[in-house]
Amino acid sequence: MKKLALKWPLIIIASSFAFLTFVVPLYGAALYSFRGEGGKGHSWVNYQWLIHADGFYLNLFTSLKLAVLAGVLNLLLMVPTMVYLNLKGQKFKSLIDFLCILPLIIPVVSLAIGAQVAMPEILQNSEYELVFFFVIIALPYTYRALDTSLQTVALKTLVEASRSLGATWTRTIIRVIVPAIRGGITGALFLTFALSIGEYTITSLLHWETFPTWTVVAAQQNILGAIAISVFSFVGAIALLSIIALFSKKGARQVEVDE
Amino acid sequence: MGVVKAHSRVRSSGPGTGVLPLLPFFIFTSFFLLWPIVAVTLRSLHGNENEWTLANYRPILKSGPYFHAFVVSIKLSLVTSIIGSILGAFFAYVIVKYARGKFEAVIDSVSAVFANSGGVPLAFMFVAAFGVEGIVTTTLKSLGWDIYADHFTIFSFTGVVMVYSFFQIPLMVLVFKPAIAGLRREWEEASTSLGASSLTYWRRVGIPILFPSFIGAFFLLFAGGFSAYATARALTVGTVPLVPIIIGTLVDGNVISDQANLGDALAVGMIVVATIAMAGYIWAQRKTAKWRSS
Repeated sequence: MKKLALKWPLIIIASSFAFLTFVVPLYGAALYSFRGEGGKGHSWVNYQWLIHADGFYLNLFTSLKLAVLAGVLNLLLMVPTMVYLNLKGQKFKSLIDFLCILPLIIPVVSLAIGAQVAMPEILQNSEYELVFFFVIIALPYTYRALDTSLQTVALKTLVEASRSLGATWTRTIIRVIVPAIRGGITGALFLTFALSIGEYTITSLLHWETFPTWTVVAAQQNILGAIAISVFSFVGAIALLSIIALFSKKGARQVEVDE
Repeated sequence: MGVVKAHSRVRSSGPGTGVLPLLPFFIFTSFFLLWPIVAVTLRSLHGNENEWTLANYRPILKSGPYFHAFVVSIKLSLVTSIIGSILGAFFAYVIVKYARGKFEAVIDSVSAVFANSGGVPLAFMFVAAFGVEGIVTTTLKSLGWDIYADHFTIFSFTGVVMVYSFFQIPLMVLVFKPAIAGLRREWEEASTSLGASSLTYWRRVGIPILFPSFIGAFFLLFAGGFSAYATARALTVGTVPLVPIIIGTLVDGNVISDQANLGDALAVGMIVVATIAMAGYIWAQRKTAKWRSS
């Protein structure tokens, strides 16, 4: 009886609080972004400004390009590493654990300053230098995503079966392990992509221009436009992540049935 | 991949047992993670004439704008991680207890978006809601409460605390939810069957078990708040003196300093503070692991 009495008050307190702290600012910003010329009425004018603004497509494209590259590089580096680590690299586990949590410890600002000091000229002159640092920043998250999903599959059995049927290592990874851990791979890919596309700190400290840094500059001309961009990126990210969450839950269940 | 392939002829036991398959990872992290840290530390120990010196650290340790920036940064991270961890723990409890299935999945993704939104969009969103002309501000004003009446602005310390809480609370939900979900129903049942009230269960069992995870999450939030840059940069444009912002202005050359490597010393100082916080996190994690395994 006591539990029943507690349930609804708790839910109501939590939901109203969540509403006030998260929904109200987001909703307020959304309303604001639909303000018309001179702050009067409602219109799409700020969103129209956004897509016609100088550099919108260029910087969006740069960000998308770097984020895709970071996602791919991250998987190329981490999937073989994590598979080997879970198969027979046990003695390196704590060292790799540590290296992968390090980007959470080292403030990104400090890493950026370090990069300015340490990176060779040729890399500093190319925007692709950012790809490597995006991979570093994503390490703690991709490590966890891949490790969790590798631990749920019978990795040794899968590998032995595949190898005894004559498959090479490359083939085993691509045809057997990757499909088995596709939940973790999707997660790692998406996390890297999401972190990269919103990354501001390293990008601005290394003086590159991507979508987030362009937004800050654009905001100085048109704050309403900048708010429109913010609302757009929030709603977009929530929608995308929710779809993926619902989709991957389904995928995970399917794998269980398959086995 | 190349390394793995090279060993594919060794059919019996896989790609060797040495360090070789892990080499790409070690080379990558050494070059893009460890080397920058070492490099900035070394340069922070050099003066204008390239001589070894501790002079760059002096402005941080004696009272003045740089010391003050560390105080403000630490205070901001403390306040927001206290707010974030307490409220986040409450949300996590309610979610674990009452949210189910698809709804829980959606809450998870919304938390993930909000927790990682310590970026530029967040700052503009809060300006739209709580700025002088913001929707919330004007609505409250029409109801008779002018939040700008006493010194409040969204660009002040209090303003930054509000904005940071927006990502600290969901981060706590993400980090702390597994700990609450790990509380076994049998423990509560056992304690109730021994005659304990719900309150006694929480005081004697629930809270002691959750405490290490809670402290760990608190330190994680602290480190995150301490290092955050983008939101404060876009929001305050320097009105609240935070260490990362000062480093940013030094790097952009907006501030003339007679010490070329002062920015490096500030960056190393940040690493030191964040390392202390993360040491607390790792210590708490060990404690948690011990609890779970015993």
